Amino acid sequence: MFNVKHLTKTFGNSPVVNDISFTLEPGNCVALLGANGAGKTTTLRMLAGLLKPSNGSIELEGMKPNADRREHIGYLPQYPVFHSWMTGKEFLVYVGQLANLTKANALDRADYFLERVGIPEAKNQRIGKYSGGMKQRLGIAQAMIHQPTMIMLDEPVSSLDPIGRREVLTLMEELKQQTTILFSTHILSDAEEISDGLLLMHQGKIVESGSLHELRNKHQTAKINLSFHELNQNYVDILKGLPGIADCFIEREELVCIVEDTEQARDELLNIVTTNQYPLTKFEVSRTSLEDLFMKVVKQ
Amino acid sequence: MQWRTIYRKEMLEYWRNFSWIWVPIVFIILAIMDPITSYYLPIIIDNVGGLPEGASVEIPEVNPTDALMMSLSEFSMFGVLVIIFITMGLIAGERKSGVAELILVKPVHYATYISSKWAAKLTLVLTSYIIGLFASWYYVNLLFGNIAFSALVQTIGFYGLWFVLVLTITVFFSCLFKSSGVVLGSTIGTLLLMFSIYNIFSHVLTWFPNSLSSHIREMLQTGSVPNALWGTSFITVGSSLILLIVAYVIFQKKEVA
Repeated sequence: MFNVKHLTKTFGNSPVVNDISFTLEPGNCVALLGANGAGKTTTLRMLAGLLKPSNGSIELEGMKPNADRREHIGYLPQYPVFHSWMTGKEFLVYVGQLANLTKANALDRADYFLERVGIPEAKNQRIGKYSGGMKQRLGIAQAMIHQPTMIMLDEPVSSLDPIGRREVLTLMEELKQQTTILFSTHILSDAEEISDGLLLMHQGKIVESGSLHELRNKHQTAKINLSFHELNQNYVDILKGLPGIADCFIEREELVCIVEDTEQARDELLNIVTTNQYPLTKFEVSRTSLEDLFMKVVKQ
Repeated sequence: MQWRTIYRKEMLEYWRNFSWIWVPIVFIILAIMDPITSYYLPIIIDNVGGLPEGASVEIPEVNPTDALMMSLSEFSMFGVLVIIFITMGLIAGERKSGVAELILVKPVHYATYISSKWAAKLTLVLTSYIIGLFASWYYVNLLFGNIAFSALVQTIGFYGLWFVLVLTITVFFSCLFKSSGVVLGSTIGTLLLMFSIYNIFSHVLTWFPNSLSSHIREMLQTGSVPNALWGTSFITVGSSLILLIVAYVIFQKKEVA
């Protein structure tokens, strides 16, 4: 339903978002994952209509490319700022009416969404007195107020404490049933927890995308982790040459071998360790995770 | 619909931050200060004394028109400053704080956003100014002599246009820049420039907005509206409208973020 083609944004001479294309399916929750400065916020702002693309097109199903999509989109910026002199309910009614709801309708929905995001007791309090978590939830409520076909959340949990983040993640999990969600994060575990799909961004480009399931299958390779009492750099060179082993490197005090044939590699490794009497303390056969993929991409 | 929503929200804000109290009070004080002090000046001098023996001070007779014009001249200085101060953050402030992001991501036309906020501020300013001039009129009638109600209404109407222009210039720069300080500087700079241009070329620029008060004085003295006052009003309103439209065009092309 969302069709993005060759989207580019240049500030000065440097492209912050560099020719990205993707589509979003209705009813999905997709995470835009990337390190700080990867271009996530810029992308979301262009989708929300706050920034004009330097190039490329954004098309919402049933609309012309680059048409005014704001009616169908809810957006929560990374650091939402409200009129602190208004109460939570007043603010929701205000933005609801700006989204073309009638006053009565806006009042009803404000109550409903304040309840939905879990801050009904604070509805008549000035927003200036809200905590960070409450503001974030009010932010989600204002994005949902006109029941848009999709909502975009920019780092919705990054600035929250562990309890707040748990609450907001649970809320997003629930909202997923009602609307399409695109959210950005730099934390893989958040993405893995609630999203169906992933867009991995790095230096303004989308370097990998797909459903979590697909990505896991595609990028999982077998590996063997070895720990030694004393890790010797020579081991790397020696083990690298063994049959069945594709690559070998040291990561976090452990020797990691990416293997082609698990059984063969295991036998070879154990064999050489015993013959040379290496001080082995741990031997583990495992699979690479999305974390490894993320780190690999980000480190490049 | 959206227009009224924003307008009402601004009005509510002026109640909550007490603008509806202090702005009219400031305008009342500005308006009555000069007429009252000049009326009591001889008494003040008598009481304070300090004049050498035999010195006589000739205090020119103040007629009602002069007294009312005193209020306008206070307005043209401090009234204008008050307007700039309360208006400079109108758009710039919301953009800088980030609230504008939440508002403009809703399907609000930028023209609606700017014009409704402009109109709300204008309501506050003009109401305060009218109350101020009524207060001045009361004291002028009491202390200096009669000014017809119709003349007062004409004065209010014509001089109000100057405030419309000042407010629009401020809103214009508020759409252009994010920093209120820059808005303040640019607005004052523009007004000073207009003032200088008028001072140098006043003999040819009879329809220049700055000439409003001299035409109003003429109107009060002769009792009829001079043609040049209509011309000046036309120019003042016209340039306000054009500024507002240009502000919208620029704002729309700008990135809100």
